[in-house]
Amino acid sequence: MDFDDDMILDQGPAVTITEAGDNFVNFALQKVDLSFANSLRRVIMAEIPIMAIDLVEIEVNSSVLPDEFLCHRLGLIPLVSKNCTEDVEYTRECDCDQYCSRCSVTLSLHAKCTSNEIMKVYAADLLVDHDRANPWVGTPVITDAEGKGTVICKLRNGQELRMKCIAKKGIGKEHAKWAPVAAVGFEYDPHNKLKHTDLWFEKSIAEEWPASKHAEWEEPAQEGERFDPDAEPDKYYFEVEGVGNLAPDQIIHEGIKVLQTKLATILNALGETKEDAGERFLPDDDVDMGGRNDFDNGYTTPGYNGPSYGNHGRATPYGATPYGQSGY
Amino acid sequence: MNAPDRFELFLLGEGEKKVTEEIDTRTPNTSIFTFNKEDHTLANMIRARLVKNPKVEFCGYKIPHPLFATFELRLQTNGEKTPKEMLIDACQTLIRSLNTLSADWTKEYELRRMVSGGGDK
Repeated sequence: MDFDDDMILDQGPAVTITEAGDNFVNFALQKVDLSFANSLRRVIMAEIPIMAIDLVEIEVNSSVLPDEFLCHRLGLIPLVSKNCTEDVEYTRECDCDQYCSRCSVTLSLHAKCTSNEIMKVYAADLLVDHDRANPWVGTPVITDAEGKGTVICKLRNGQELRMKCIAKKGIGKEHAKWAPVAAVGFEYDPHNKLKHTDLWFEKSIAEEWPASKHAEWEEPAQEGERFDPDAEPDKYYFEVEGVGNLAPDQIIHEGIKVLQTKLATILNALGETKEDAGERFLPDDDVDMGGRNDFDNGYTTPGYNGPSYGNHGRATPYGATPYGQSGY
Repeated sequence: MNAPDRFELFLLGEGEKKVTEEIDTRTPNTSIFTFNKEDHTLANMIRARLVKNPKVEFCGYKIPHPLFATFELRLQTNGEKTPKEMLIDACQTLIRSLNTLSADWTKEYELRRMVSGGGDK
């Protein structure tokens, strides 16, 4: 651990938030290299654990939508996932047989149309079981003025839906429904001084390419300025656009945490063969190692080998594979 | 139909190690580390940190096959430290700078909330 190796560290990353709202945050990240900024972006998009409906037991579905279609729609409904990294277990790592209140949230849906008018079934109609890891996890995110949420399905007179949905924790790498963000904007070097991109033009770049909204943050190249081939980018503009599962600042914090956990896992793995075992490499206490080191216990396919859920059970289209109902 | 399961991207298989080190005898002080169930996110970050270190002669990574979530990091040092020590150092400094980032973020966000009165928009 000699610090003299890393003069770079003295500066450390710096953040300037330019805009923030309930579901988005725009900021500039400075004093880091491109790969660091890009890793943060990648981890935010694909590796922050959140909740999403993963398993649906359909009892009655007489609507016009096929079961799979409905399951897919249900899977995409954003669910409140605050603190789910700590509070909720991964089903594959949980001690229970199939799923339990520590590793899942049960939402039930029962709707029947009894009038001649077309009835809409909304996300707000999902009834959340109170037996869950913490008092908010798994509740559908509802942001519209009427408080109804997304439309799941429309029903005609006599049509009925009755199903039980199991929401589980997962990451965006497995399925996009577990992504906490809709998009992460990422830009650097708005004047293309580094020439990382080659802008096509007919007469002049300045006339034909509109300036980026971040252009005013940086000085354009001066007339006759020499190109510096050793220059490196130093300022990155992020536009993190959340889906509602996590507040934007939590998304960033979780992203950082996931990256730290990754690095700590490497340190632990490297430490194993040496006399100085794992602990000293663990980052600060607030980093949850979340059982990720238990990989040595050797589960085959991740514990999903339980029996399938009766004839009416359906997993969401992706989920179908690991549950042995490989109809795809 | 025969696509690999998605969880194979991030769950270690049975008996699989997160990292293995293999000493490369073609050049002095060189090791090739194979990381399992990791991708560019980690690889590029570690690589970028290592190449900045003057004690590192060479560092680069490759992903041998796009369908398998694994990467190989080749690291040659100038002999003051072993590649493994250098890798450990790099990971530790990265964790520390992420800590700085986390603290800085908290501070900035709180400030932002105070300015815009609860951060509503």
